[in-house]
Amino acid sequence: MNQPVLEARDLSKTFASGAERIAVFSGLSVSLAAGQSLALMGRSGSGKSTLLNLFCGLERPDNGVITLLGERFDYREAGAAGQQEKRWARLRRRQIGVMFQEANLMPALSLLDNVRLRARLAEQPLEQCQTWLERLGIGELAERYPDQVSGGQRQRAALAMVFAMNPDLILADEPTGSLDRRTAEEVTAELFRLQAETGVALVLATHDPELAEQCQVTLDLAHGNQAGPAP
Amino acid sequence: MTLFAAVFSHYRRHPLQLAALALMILVATTLWSGVRQLTEQARTSLSQSEQVIAGREQVVRVDGAALTVSDFVTLRRAGLCVMPWLEVPRQGDVGLVIGVDPLAAACFGGAGGAFGNSQIRLEGEPFVDISEAARMARELPAAEPPPSLALIAAGEVTADAVPAGYRLADFSRGPDTGELGESFLLNLDALGILVLLITALLLRSVYRLGIVQRRDSFALLHRFGVPPAQIDRWLVVELLVLSALCILPGLWLGSWLAGLLGQGFGRSLEGLFDAPLYAAPGQWLAPAFTMMAVVLVACLADFLVPGAHRLAGSRGKGKLAGGFLVTGLVLALLSPSLVWVFVAVAIVFAGAGLLTPALINRLADRAADASADPLSRWRYRELAVMARQLALPVVALQFTLAMVLAIQALVTTFEDTFDRWLGQRLEAELYVAVPEGRSGEAAARWLTSQPELQTSGVWHRVIRGRGSVSVSGSAPTPVDLFALSPVSSLVTSWDLLDAEDDPWATLTRGEGVLVNEQLARRLELGVGDRIALEVAGQQLNLPISGVYADYGRPAGEILISGALLPEQFRPDFESFSITPGTLTRAELIRGLEAVWQVSGMTVRDNEEIRALATGVFDQTFLLTRAMTVLTLTLAALALLVMGWVFFTGRNWYFRLLATWGLSRREVAAQLTRLSVGLTGSVALLALPLGIWLTWVLVHRINPLAFGWSLPMAVYPGFWVELIGLSLLIGLGIALLMGRQLRAGAALPVSASSLTGGER
Repeated sequence: MNQPVLEARDLSKTFASGAERIAVFSGLSVSLAAGQSLALMGRSGSGKSTLLNLFCGLERPDNGVITLLGERFDYREAGAAGQQEKRWARLRRRQIGVMFQEANLMPALSLLDNVRLRARLAEQPLEQCQTWLERLGIGELAERYPDQVSGGQRQRAALAMVFAMNPDLILADEPTGSLDRRTAEEVTAELFRLQAETGVALVLATHDPELAEQCQVTLDLAHGNQAGPAP
Repeated sequence: MTLFAAVFSHYRRHPLQLAALALMILVATTLWSGVRQLTEQARTSLSQSEQVIAGREQVVRVDGAALTVSDFVTLRRAGLCVMPWLEVPRQGDVGLVIGVDPLAAACFGGAGGAFGNSQIRLEGEPFVDISEAARMARELPAAEPPPSLALIAAGEVTADAVPAGYRLADFSRGPDTGELGESFLLNLDALGILVLLITALLLRSVYRLGIVQRRDSFALLHRFGVPPAQIDRWLVVELLVLSALCILPGLWLGSWLAGLLGQGFGRSLEGLFDAPLYAAPGQWLAPAFTMMAVVLVACLADFLVPGAHRLAGSRGKGKLAGGFLVTGLVLALLSPSLVWVFVAVAIVFAGAGLLTPALINRLADRAADASADPLSRWRYRELAVMARQLALPVVALQFTLAMVLAIQALVTTFEDTFDRWLGQRLEAELYVAVPEGRSGEAAARWLTSQPELQTSGVWHRVIRGRGSVSVSGSAPTPVDLFALSPVSSLVTSWDLLDAEDDPWATLTRGEGVLVNEQLARRLELGVGDRIALEVAGQQLNLPISGVYADYGRPAGEILISGALLPEQFRPDFESFSITPGTLTRAELIRGLEAVWQVSGMTVRDNEEIRALATGVFDQTFLLTRAMTVLTLTLAALALLVMGWVFFTGRNWYFRLLATWGLSRREVAAQLTRLSVGLTGSVALLALPLGIWLTWVLVHRINPLAFGWSLPMAVYPGFWVELIGLSLLIGLGIALLMGRQLRAGAALPVSASSLTGGER
């Protein structure tokens, strides 16, 4: 197995609910190598989105260690949050592509400008942006604004943004959750095709078993914390 | 949950919005009703002064001593029809009450006009029975101005009938100032209405934002079977309840504000127009209903006038704005009356209001197109969205900034000019008033005979009285007459607005006169024009040698050489301005006391008079300044609240930036650049509007309202301060939003709701 892109050990996360704290997960460990894909399964509220947020530093676990692309974030130690935040921001900017179920685009920018903005932040060449839109079949919509295209086209543009930054890890939070089945399949197919082409590691949060089947590893947050091979 | 509770539930989630609405209604009511109460009171006072006092005569003691009850008894026993008139300041309140004696007034008879028994209502507004006024006078604390007693003479009383030791004198408080008093109040009315409009604009913007946010809830209620008309009715009820709860305390606060500013305002009114501020009843019902109507119209204009919003959003907005601007600018330049100048200002403001958000939007879009950097492009596009979505509070802030800028320029110019002018008028060290019944001529002879004064000092005598002026056979206009004798170097350094080559020499020779700006404007007089001046029945036909600036009362004044005064001229008042040189003040006083045979003569230091005069003029603008500062605070708060609400809606997109790897500090920096960019743009666009408004105030409104104009001056230092203030408002929005960002972000309502409004 290659050097893991993402390695998490003994992650725990709780949320406050009034006076008590509710555990989302505890002692969770997972590892993902370059080119691998991991599906996070579970019901709504099982902690899929939270785990994705932990993997890109948007949230902090209560305990555990995350190593991402050789950078180690040890949450067993108190303090150093500010320094960690800067390191996470640097990783998100250049190496982690994050894709949400919806609203991945800036509404005031055209599709092309959205892709260019993401590529610019990742310090990638802007000339490739139009090419990425074309590779995703929406090259002719480049100058349109998000509200002028369909939901599927918006998610393709979001994919173009993620790949235009040439990431090492993609975190996708139910990226097709708001699309009809056929469009969802098309977008998913593009995602896996480009993931295979670029060799990027992928973590996909979904409650769709068929989608999860397409990933190499599945982690079911409802039934345990151990990552296992896909069926 | 009842329907009412469902409709109101919005404000449970957004209490700040409710607080902003309530605060705006409260402050708008306070400001407007406060100013209205003062102007109404002043208007009543002017009107009563005109109706009751104008043209009347009073009987005064020849020795200048204050009148007492025994004087009244003496005069009535001599068969003279006189009535006591006791003016008493209202303790702890604004204005005066006037004590009159209806029994004494009975002899005024039918010809007594307003003094006829049936026409005086002793209700304290301002008349009370003289016994009541006397009681109030006794209870006055020492700090209050003393009460003043006059004895008003009936129309049939002639000078021959007046017993020895008394004489008749005019009771009118000053010469006719034309419509200027009314214009002054109209000026304040306009300011009040402008403040009301700005607050209505802000109110509308906050309310509309709430309505947009509640639209989904209303749609849901509609799907549950609630008719839209019923929801509209509840909205009206909601507004009425909110208005009632805020307007009543607002009116109370307005009354408090009027009381706070009233004393200074009263002094201004008396100083400027010789019209004291009498007591007037505080009205509640009409202002309450007016404010309620303003709130309803501001918030529910879209319901009341369907299609009003389409006008604002139409493609022809640019043309409409251009049309408004051109019309307003031309009208401001050419309009003959104050009312039309205000209409012109309103039209220009409407044009600017339509143009500003569109202009910021257009410029930001242009900048985005020209920018190669995607992040800058995003920022410019967001700025364009903000300009469109925050159009109302942006325009309100622009109006307020322009108003503050103009008023500050006016006040600062006025202070500078007035200070210089006062310095020239009070160049002498001392001011000595000739006591009642004493000879100014004798004092002048004594002063001439003092060798120290002739060699090291300088002095002149001012003889003040009344005259009338007519031009080319026109009806005579009463004027205040000032005769100088001699024409000393204390006056020859005055700045003249217009003059022939050596106007003071002409004046000294008695070959010309000087007139004040007010008279020159009113009678359209210029240097070289000849006027017919009637003084004590004698006609003088003289050319105008110069026009001098006069920033005091709007009364017409004329300056002549003392040598021109006819024998039979009886001065109302005489004074000396003296710089004694090596003659000591004590020697001067002793000398004059000996000439006049009086003891304890008052010699006033001109520096004291200067401080007093400056105080009166400061009071004139206190109200204006207070209103502009409060309006600016309100506009800043409204933009702060609106900006905060706007950014809350766009929180997600700033979180996206953080997700894409911008650090919290970098996101905050983007946010700051955006909000500061918006408020900075507003401030920049407010500058031309403010400068234009300054011009209108100085060159159009001031001459029409006060009778004099000021030099047009601009103060770039203050522009920088205002821009700084706007940037601080922007910074405030960014700070508020920064807190919001740290609290986490919600997704937009739905991805499919990415509407055109979001970009």
